[in-house]
Parts: sequence; C-alpha cells; structure tokens
Amino acid sequence: MVSMNDILKDVQSLPALPGTALRIIMMLSGSDVDLDEVKEIVRLDEAITIVVLRNANSVAYGIPGKTFSLEESIVRLGTKRLLKIALEQQVSRVMSGAGVSYGLRRGSLWRGSLGGALAAEELAEEIKYGDVELCFVCALLRDIGKLAFDAYFGPDRILECAWNMKPGMSFLETERELLGVDHAELGGALAEHWDLPERIANAIRFHHDPPPDDQGHDELYDVVHAGDVMALWMGLAIGHDGMQYHLADHVKHGILGSREHAEQIMMNTWSRLNELEADMNETTFQGQGRSA
Amino acid sequence: MNLVDGKRQFELSSLASTFKNTQTDGQVVVGVADVAMTNDSAADVITYALGSCIGVTIYDPQAKIGGMLHFMLPSAKVSPDKAVSSPLMFGDLGIPILFKSCYEKGAKKENLIVCAAGGAEILDGDGNFKIGSRNRTMLRKLFWKNNILLSADDTGGTISRTLTLRMSDGQVSVRTKGKEKVLWSQ
Repeated sequence: MVSMNDILKDVQSLPALPGTALRIIMMLSGSDVDLDEVKEIVRLDEAITIVVLRNANSVAYGIPGKTFSLEESIVRLGTKRLLKIALEQQVSRVMSGAGVSYGLRRGSLWRGSLGGALAAEELAEEIKYGDVELCFVCALLRDIGKLAFDAYFGPDRILECAWNMKPGMSFLETERELLGVDHAELGGALAEHWDLPERIANAIRFHHDPPPDDQGHDELYDVVHAGDVMALWMGLAIGHDGMQYHLADHVKHGILGSREHAEQIMMNTWSRLNELEADMNETTFQGQGRSA
Repeated sequence: MNLVDGKRQFELSSLASTFKNTQTDGQVVVGVADVAMTNDSAADVITYALGSCIGVTIYDPQAKIGGMLHFMLPSAKVSPDKAVSSPLMFGDLGIPILFKSCYEKGAKKENLIVCAAGGAEILDGDGNFKIGSRNRTMLRKLFWKNNILLSADDTGGTISRTLTLRMSDGQVSVRTKGKEKVLWSQ
C-alpha cells in the first residue's frame, strides 16, 4: 500500500505537461488571453502549425481558390480554436504512449481523453453551460492519474485489481482497497502539483463520482463525468478496468436526460473525433484500447 | 439477410470508404464501427477492447471465408443521417452488411459459424440506459428473425474483451484481463 504523498514525493517519476500547455489551460479556463503569446506558441511548434494550416484551409473554413498563410490562418480560426488545437497537440504527446498499466494500446488513452472531451463539450453547449472550454479542458485531462499509475505501478498491479473486482464495486474502490490510492484522486493531486486551478483539479478528482446536490455539487463535474461515461459507451480507452465505473444517478436523470439524447451526442462526437484524427498526427491514433 | 432497412438499401461498393480496418503483420484490425472480410488463411482478424460494443465473427469452414463487425449502438433509428454516413456504427445495419459481404465472397449461410462478444454494462443503478444489454437484444433479435444460431458467445458483465478470429481454422478466442480463452474451435 502506498499513500498519495508517497507518490507525489517521487516527483522525478511523475509525468509533466509542457509549460506552454499549462499556460494554454490557464487561458482556456478564464485567465487573460495574450494573443501574441498564442501566435508564438503556434509558430514555434511545427506540428501545431501544420494542424492550424490544415484547419484554416479545410472545406469548412474555405473560400474557393484561396489558400491561407499562417498569419491569415491564425486570424481566421480565432483564439479559442487556436488554443484548443495547441492544447490537443501538446497533451497528445504526453498521453499517447500512456495507459500501459491498464493494458491500453498506444494512442488509446489519448483517444479516450479527446473523445470524452468532445462529448463533454457538446453536452456543455447543449445545456448552455457557461464555460464550454473549461469543460473541454477538464475532460481532456481527466485521466492524467493513469499517467502517474504507469510511472508508479506496473501493469501487474492493475491486473491484480481487475482480477479482484467485486460485483457492484467500482474499479476506483478496488484501486483504493488494493493500492491505497485511486487514479482519479491521484489525477486531482497531480493537477494541483502542476498548479492548475482548484476547480480543474476537482473536476479530474470527481470525474467518476461527481458529488450530488448536498455534497459540493458543481455542474462542471457532472459534464466531465458524462463525457467520461459516453467515451466508455463509444468503446474508447477501455482497459483492464473495463466498464466497472458508476454512472451517477443525478447526472443520468439530469443533464444526460435520455438514452436517445446520450446516443445522439455519442454519434456526433464520433464524427468529430474521426475528423480530428484526420487532422492530427496519424501515429498518435494508430492504436485503440487493448483489454488483453 | 438483405441490406434493406426501411426504404434504404446499401450497396457495398458505396460503403468501401467507411471500412477502416488495417492490416499489419498478418493481423486485420477491426476498429469501432468497422467491418472486415477476408479469405486469407494466414490472417487473424482482431478487435480490441469491446466494452458495451459488440463484436460479431462469422466463418465458413468450407469456403474459408471469415469476417468481423464491431458495432457501437443497437439501432440506427435514432439518427437517419448517421444511418447513411456510418451504418457500421449500428447493429441493425452493420450485421446485415457483415453477412452480405461474406456471402458476396462465396460464404454460405448454412455453413456459417457465428460468434459474438462484448455487450458489457457500466454500473448503472436502475439501468435505463443499458446500451450493452440493448446491443445484445438487437443481435439476438436479428439472428432469430433470420434463422441464424450463435455457435458461441461471451457477453454481458462489466469487463473488456478482445476478440480474435483465426482464419487458418476458424478458432474464435476472447482475451480478458490478460487471459485468453477459446470461444469456439473445430
């Protein structure tokens, strides 16, 4: 058994996001946006530059016969889209090789993170949640605890949890019982370690168990949880933990609304995920989840 | 089976662009909302990490033709648009496409070995979403209507499953939590 502090003390083994990614997260979650800084992030990163150019010159943004330069592309896409492209690229580099301890193939954890973020974003837009970008960011980062599990525990320990799952008991409870810590709680602590805002850390911490009305409820946590559940239903990033997670009653009867509603969001998310895959580095997406 | 769904009839040639399976080192990998057919006896057809989705394999030991579908949702009725653009996402459209594709390559219905895996559920108190269970129901309903018997299946629960069809002899296996078990073999 280990404690959260044991893991967090072992800073050298913990995964890290690039400093620019942390800055982008802050800008997307409400801090002042410095457009010159955003432009510089795009210009200095070749992979981001390529995706920005592709996006701005795609049919969706296109004017027949027109090809946009990088400068024109930056203006055309707008700050929020630029920030999201940059964040997707940077987080994908950290996440694409992760999830090994859960038996996930390369790219699978990242694909699940992005799929859940897109689902959360679409749900947030539908329910007219005030800060759609914050929902996207939190859902994108919700499984960072699994990065730390990769670094600290080997695949044998997660397999041990999988073989010791009890009916009705969630995988988080099993992790806590056998390892002394669960990946959601550890993800929240890691976000704090990165100096991310408390709400982002809590959205990561509660992505499997958002608290109901009388216990610190926040609709942001509900949206992130719903995005995570829809990612599972879409077959994204399912590893040794399987589907052994709860769907919160207040989310099911609240913002998810109905089965048809959830399925519609999943279908739209699936299309958007495939479009984004075409835009991003193909090597990031070679894998899908491996339960083996 | 035919490919008629209400007023729509899908032509396989028009669906070619939706087939996403990849072939590497003798493996044909079937993604989510994807189908594969092959007569390559050296190939393994595989789909990873089935949760509430269902993987269906069919194999004709005479013609040595096999195929696999990985569908996500039971019915396309919820979205006529997606029924056209992504029919393999749905059991009610994808299953007929799988069978017809193999028939067109020479498989015979009377010879088919049919197996299925997946259809797991998230922990959901009163269970009114039940996507895995509804996927299983759609599968059985379609098979019952078309006089097709499942030779073997491994469905339900909360676990993840990786499904493999070995084309050399039609063996179907399921890998869960790091351990493999044979679902069907000659």
